[in-house]
Amino acid sequence: MDFLFSYIALAEVYVLLGLSTNLLVGIAGIFSVSQAAVFGVGAYIVAQLLMTETMGFVPAMLVASLVCIALNVLVTLPSLRVSGDYFVVTSFGIQLLATAVFINWTQGTGGANGLPGIPPPDLFGVMLETNAQLVMLTTVSVGLGCLAFWLIMRAPFGRLLRAIREDELAVAAVGKGVLQAKVSAAALAGAFAGSAGGLYATFLSFIDPVSFDLDASILLLTMVVVGGARTLAGSIIGPFLLLALPQVLTFIDIPTTIAASARQLIYGVLLIVFMLFRPQGLAGEKL
Amino acid sequence: MLALQLLVNGLVTGSALGLVAISFSLIYSTTKIFHVAHAGVYTMAGYVAWSLASRGMPDVVTLVVTVAACMAMGALIQHQLYARLERRRATPLVVLIASLGALAVMQNVIAAIYSPNILQFPVPWGSQMVVLGGVRLTWTQILTVLASLAAYGATVWFFHRTILGKQIRAVASNPFLAEITRLHPQRVYIIVVGIGSAIVALPGILVPLDLGLQPYSGITPLLTATIAMIAGGIGSITGSFVIAVGIAVLQNLSLLVIPGEWSIGITFFIFVIFMLFRPTGLFAAAR
Amino acid sequence: MSAAYLEAAGLEVRFGGLLALRDCSFTVESGRITCLVGPNGAGKTTIFNVITGFLKPNQGNVAFKGQSLDGLTPQAIVGTGIARTFQNLRLFVDLTALDNVLVGLPAQAGEEPIGAIFRPLHVARAQKRRREEALATLDHVGLADRAHEYVRNLSYGEQKLLTVARVLATGAELLLLDEPASGLSAGALDGIMALLRRLQSEGKTLLVVEHNTRVVQQIADEVLFLHQGHLMATGSPAKIISDPALAEIYFGGAI
Repeated sequence: MDFLFSYIALAEVYVLLGLSTNLLVGIAGIFSVSQAAVFGVGAYIVAQLLMTETMGFVPAMLVASLVCIALNVLVTLPSLRVSGDYFVVTSFGIQLLATAVFINWTQGTGGANGLPGIPPPDLFGVMLETNAQLVMLTTVSVGLGCLAFWLIMRAPFGRLLRAIREDELAVAAVGKGVLQAKVSAAALAGAFAGSAGGLYATFLSFIDPVSFDLDASILLLTMVVVGGARTLAGSIIGPFLLLALPQVLTFIDIPTTIAASARQLIYGVLLIVFMLFRPQGLAGEKL
Repeated sequence: MLALQLLVNGLVTGSALGLVAISFSLIYSTTKIFHVAHAGVYTMAGYVAWSLASRGMPDVVTLVVTVAACMAMGALIQHQLYARLERRRATPLVVLIASLGALAVMQNVIAAIYSPNILQFPVPWGSQMVVLGGVRLTWTQILTVLASLAAYGATVWFFHRTILGKQIRAVASNPFLAEITRLHPQRVYIIVVGIGSAIVALPGILVPLDLGLQPYSGITPLLTATIAMIAGGIGSITGSFVIAVGIAVLQNLSLLVIPGEWSIGITFFIFVIFMLFRPTGLFAAAR
Repeated sequence: MSAAYLEAAGLEVRFGGLLALRDCSFTVESGRITCLVGPNGAGKTTIFNVITGFLKPNQGNVAFKGQSLDGLTPQAIVGTGIARTFQNLRLFVDLTALDNVLVGLPAQAGEEPIGAIFRPLHVARAQKRRREEALATLDHVGLADRAHEYVRNLSYGEQKLLTVARVLATGAELLLLDEPASGLSAGALDGIMALLRRLQSEGKTLLVVEHNTRVVQQIADEVLFLHQGHLMATGSPAKIISDPALAEIYFGGAI
């Protein structure tokens, strides 16, 4: 039962990441391989704030979200001057830079050994320590996240983003701010990713740079691609499916030395296959 | 003198990086595709060469077979992946994701077959030191500089003085016009990606000859190379090469003041400066 | 003497070695339908791009109601009351006709995420009113019964009407229409000409790029003849169309 709780809680954290990636990549059309980096920033911030007992869980989550919002906004703002491929380079750059920081800034992130012993979250004075309690927290968080996503998409903002994805020029020609909308989408994506990071840190009580590297960003992209872009359903299906994959793989006898490579290989294949034959994913709209 | 040694090291690394930059620049300026899988072809070169050298193949054979294999891989990706996606009128985002998938597949197949650990080339003469004017160089490093300059020269000559080269540049600057004047853009794309992949095989062999082989270390040089391409002006072969050397020299010189793990920060910082002040690059090709 | 409604002075636009606009000057009077004609490549769409801020001229400037448009973003220019359509439509294909119009409505609640998430009821109520506005605009161009159709299911004629509806939604008083009548059947043509005249009677000013001489004759109050990026002649439709020298340029021979 505990195992099932772990799977669900983790999957829900990744659903938040899926919503984040969907906002950025699926809806705003910004190619991003740095989602894992932002996820990591959120995780490390919450971890440090809780471990140093600087503040409680909820304020820590708020701080993490704000920092991640600022990070994403900073990255998307200069896009006014240059073409879309600027984003690609920036995104890779941020991801690689973040990994370098996570591994080398031992003071802040514990370096390659990571941060063990992250305290459990506290909500209104109550410590959430059992897996069942943690699952309730993640479920409520994911529920709020999905609600926010749904509200955004049915509001004029959602329609504006869809129009931008189709034809930015035409949107500018009817007097709407394209850059502001994209930056807002990126900011939201940052909030989702930062919160996911905070939940992840307190749930696992241990984090290290491996969870937040380029391979992790590729996994996030794969989730959105497989689950389906731009829809709530796709953001939920993708993570649940792909997190079940390692369990499925254990039934096949793969030596542990190549297990990680095997997983990443499968993600790569999934990306290619879906882009070639089913760009809308299982439950999404065409990318 | 340390600074002089670092400068020379920078020139060595930079010349290899220059080839990555010009090969990527060729592909990007012609096909307009941000071919991240190029990092995979770069990585593949080293491992193919290693396999052949380890089996006692003569160096010339190793070189030729490796270059041919890379050319074939590049052409395969263009023909089977990118061309198909173009026929389905896929957005650049879709192509980028597919390219990322191809990169993940290549890197992880290599990691699965050869192990993720560092492999060394069994070539004893390469590591012999030579002392020139107070600076220490290995034969491999000297070879790297010479080979890179030769390849750079050959590329410039090919694209500016041969008919095929000029045809390729014509397609690059105006695919629509090229289409109606019987230049067949798709065929040109395969040729260009093939040539680019052949060129990148050289640093793909030479750099690991010096530093060892690793499956996942292709993306960082690729990122640096794309920054060199953008800063040097997309479409300018010389611009990409010169800036690549410049970046490598700066990275090495920065070691005087900053620890080596942060060198990617330098690259990224240079990129941000260019994006803010000269987004079209230093040597933007005249149209 | 009051400033002209729309005035372009000495516009020059270069693309590399190509001179798209060459000392191009003209005025457009308020409340009239002015047609911009000329052979292909004369620079008509380039003029639209300059007026609407998508292209910065190498020289010269444009003033609207006495205010210079120099350096304004396309969005700001829409804010001053000028909006344009595109020759290749550029509709949002995966959205419905209604949504296409809704995107153009200015200053809506919920167009940014904070409002969308924290004031959903307010946004929903505001959207209800906006929907009615958008439906009225669609009705105005005769597309009310196609409001909930996706653009890809509309006929070409209906799509052209939709581009006009979208530009009307912005509330602009000066409409720049790029070939609104091209590719239409006879019936649809009459429909769109009637629409343009109706818009004029409601106080809109129209600057229309048009190739069809029948359309120009029937709707234009004034014609600007453009050739090789320079204004060659202005006048009434009758005068311009009957001028043999202009016809030579336009058709390569008399009509």
